[in-house]
This record gives sequence, structure tokens and C-alpha cells, in this order.
Amino acid sequence: MFGKYDLNVHLEQDGVKIEVEGRGKKKIYRRVCNGEEVEKHIYAKEGNIVICPVEPVNLPKEGTAEHLLVKLTKPIIIEPDVESTFYVTFPVEIGIFLVDKKDVERIDIFTLTKPKYALYGPPESGIICRWWESDVYGEVPEVKRLFEGVLRVDAKNSYREWVEISKIVFRALDMKVFYNDYAYMHARLNILKKTVGETSFNERKPKNMQPSIDIYEAKGIKKLEKKFVVEWGLK
Amino acid sequence: MNIIATIGDILSQKIEYLGGRSIADVIIFFVIIFISFIVAKIVRVNVRRSFKEKVPKTTLIAMEKIFYYGILFIGLVIALPYIGIKLSGLLVAGGILGIVIGFASQTVVSNFISGLFLLIEKPIKIGDGISVGDVSGVVKDIRILSTTIRTWDGIYVRVPNEKVFNSSIQNFVAHAARRFEYKIGIAYKDDADKAIKIIENLLEEHPLILKEPAPQIFVEELGESSVNLAIRIWAPSAHWFSVKTEMLWKIKVALEKEGIEIPFPQRVIWMADKKAS
Repeated sequence: MFGKYDLNVHLEQDGVKIEVEGRGKKKIYRRVCNGEEVEKHIYAKEGNIVICPVEPVNLPKEGTAEHLLVKLTKPIIIEPDVESTFYVTFPVEIGIFLVDKKDVERIDIFTLTKPKYALYGPPESGIICRWWESDVYGEVPEVKRLFEGVLRVDAKNSYREWVEISKIVFRALDMKVFYNDYAYMHARLNILKKTVGETSFNERKPKNMQPSIDIYEAKGIKKLEKKFVVEWGLK
Repeated sequence: MNIIATIGDILSQKIEYLGGRSIADVIIFFVIIFISFIVAKIVRVNVRRSFKEKVPKTTLIAMEKIFYYGILFIGLVIALPYIGIKLSGLLVAGGILGIVIGFASQTVVSNFISGLFLLIEKPIKIGDGISVGDVSGVVKDIRILSTTIRTWDGIYVRVPNEKVFNSSIQNFVAHAARRFEYKIGIAYKDDADKAIKIIENLLEEHPLILKEPAPQIFVEELGESSVNLAIRIWAPSAHWFSVKTEMLWKIKVALEKEGIEIPFPQRVIWMADKKAS
């Protein structure tokens, strides 16, 4: 389903129906998913529809969270000065964009997942995060493509002691989502102390993948810092 | 050397129509005024840059003006004696006037200082839902003398900053998440564990009911007419009220759908037997 399409398109996959139809400038965008139907009028002479995974923090209400907390079903214990790579999954939110030479306009964002949020840190200074639970995999897992994506994590324990990780927090602003037939991100976790880590994302495009439209860049938000300090524990 | 000496003589020469001041004094006067303008402009630009993101635009303009004219005033006070205007007389008159103005503007100054402290301490921000004194609503503006609040009923209320600063402030959205509570009674004949499970499942379905800290549901009290359950829910501060208004009825419907009764207050009355009496 992910990809770039003409302004007249009809797609159906895994219970999701997306169509843009109409003649001339006037089109109708229609999306059916999870029993929810969205219909919008589009006035556009030219351009393309791009369907791609986006940073998973937009639903059900934009602005609720700007971070993703991945809770590991089984904790990982890493010994000092060791780097290891593992894979987890992340919730997929699918963005529908109207793209022309000048601009990118967001038409719709939806998900097949059931969004859930959590407070990371204490109430007085913590942050609201999109909550997601994932198994840990040693290699790229098979995923339900419209439902969950693959998140590669390169973890490095820079601390002098063994460290146990059962949750990792990522900032959506730092994320760089790629896709082919599934969604993919590549993150780094640098463990600085027993309870403190630093997460960032690799922005290099993997082979045979396309970069997704960045919702923050589409809004004109500049990314200054590209690391997030996970300061309220990794357990 | 002669030229320098001549210029020095001219500058130090007292001129009658300048009130017996020398040209040097007049030049010093203008230099001080000029420097005051330059310093005032530099300070104004720096105040603007430093506080641009931190204070509302109206407050920023007021702060800029206060610094700008304050520095000009100090420059003028320093420069005036060079052109023969003695400030001692002005100070006496100014002192008396100052006392009068001081008394008259006591509240204004108090509000102004409170406004500055509010901006520094930042217990509230524009857009926050707050309760201060007997006023409750959304902060629309924090000005240098007053704070404007739109109450939940949509009424505009201007609260002097002194009152805001001296009152206990409840900021409903200062923290990322907040907790609210329901109390629901179920009939004694019903299974409390089953009711708790039904409510847990319902809360799990709602995206904005936080997973961590997890909701707490427990039997709080064995009441007169019901077994009372306490339901404590954490939600993002920005959405807690919509979640609270949405969930209570859903819990009631879900419990009744599973055959769990939410009883009315009731009392068992035993009538005395006529024969026995």
C-alpha cells in the first residue's frame, strides 16, 4: 500500500480501503478502516498521493505526545562496553499526503493499532508517550505490515556496570521513518548510566527503501537537537 | 601645542548667555545625553532579544519602554548639572511629589512588582487552566499589571497581579498527567471481582487513559446500600476532563450490560408482628 500514486487511485489491503476519485480539479478522498469512514474534498489539478508510515504519535489527538515508549516484553541485560543490535516493533500510523512540486499537504493519518499512552517519569516533570509493547528479536521480524513496523536498535552500554533495559523512549522529532512494503526505523541507544540513556536515529537511507514524509518537516519545524536523553530509567 | 591650548581656552571660557557655563560643559551635557540614548537603545534591543520567547508581546513592549526611558532619565539627571540646572531644588520638590505619587501608586507598583515576579517564577502560562482565589478558567494574558482569565463560563475576568501573586494558585495543566476518581456502588449480591474486571477492560480500550501509571480499581468501602468501588484514573492533563466526562456513563452501561446492579440507597425495614405485640 505504501508508495506514490496518481490523483485517481483505488487501494484495498488488510481491511483498509483508500480511494481518490473524480474528474478535473474536483476529487473526493475516501478512507475506510476499522469501521471508520473519512471523506474529504480535494481541489487539485495536478500532484500525487503519497501513502507512507509516519512518526507514530498523531492519534487519536495530535499533540497528545511527542515521544514513543517501547516496553519490552522481556528485558535485555547488556554487559559493560558491549554493543549489540536487536529489533523491536513499533506502531504504524499511515499518512496520506497530497504532494506537488511546491508543497506537501497532509490529507489524513490513520492506524490499525489501538493507541495507548503512558507517563514516563514523575507526574511533575515526566512526559506523555505513545505506549507500545514489543517482543525483542535478534533479526528482522515478520510484521503485519500496515499494523507494525521494524525498529532496529543499536545499543551500546557505555556504563561500567551491567544494565537491564525493559523500556526505551524515543523522541518523534528525531525519528526518520523509511518504507518499502513495511515501515522501518534505525535507532541508537547509548547507555550512559544505570538509569540514563540517550536515543537517536540513523538518517541514512537503507537499500531498497524510501524515506517517509516527515510530519515535522512538512509543518516547517526545524530539527535542532537530534538526541533524546532517557533520564527516568530504562526499567 | 598652541592650537591645543587655544582650543582648551575656548572650551573653558565661560559664556554669559549659557548661564555662565563653558562650552565644554555644554558639550559634556550633549555627550551624556547622546551616550544615554545609545545605552538605552542597546539595552532595549537586548531586553527584546532576551525576553522575546519568555514573556507576552504586550509585557515585552512595556518592559522595553521602562528600561529605555529609565536609562534616558538617569542620563538626564547626570547631565543637567552641566548646564546649570541644579537638581537639589528639584529633589526636594520631587521628594514631596514622590511621597504623594508613591502613596497614590502603591497598588500600581505592587501589581507591577508582582507581575515581574510572576514572569520570573512562572507559576502560570498563557493557555493554562488555573484557579486563583475564587476565579477559575483559562489564562488568556499575563500583563505587567494584571492577568486576564476566561472563566469556564466564557466570562472575561481581570485579576490584579498582586492578587494572583499573593493567592494560592492551582494550575490544572502544569504537570503532564493528572489523576481523577470515580466512586461506584454495586449491589451486595454482585461479584466485585467481576465488576473490577469489566471496568479494567473498558479502561484499557480508551487511548487516553494512561497505561502507566495504571488505573487502580478496588473495593473501597462496604456501604449502607452498596459495595463501593474506587476507580482512580491517570490521563494527560490536556485531556483529563473529556476522559472524565466520557467514562462514567460508559462504566455504568458496561456494568449493567453484564448484569451488575448499581443500587439505589435502600433500607430493610422489619415490621413488628401484631400477634406478638
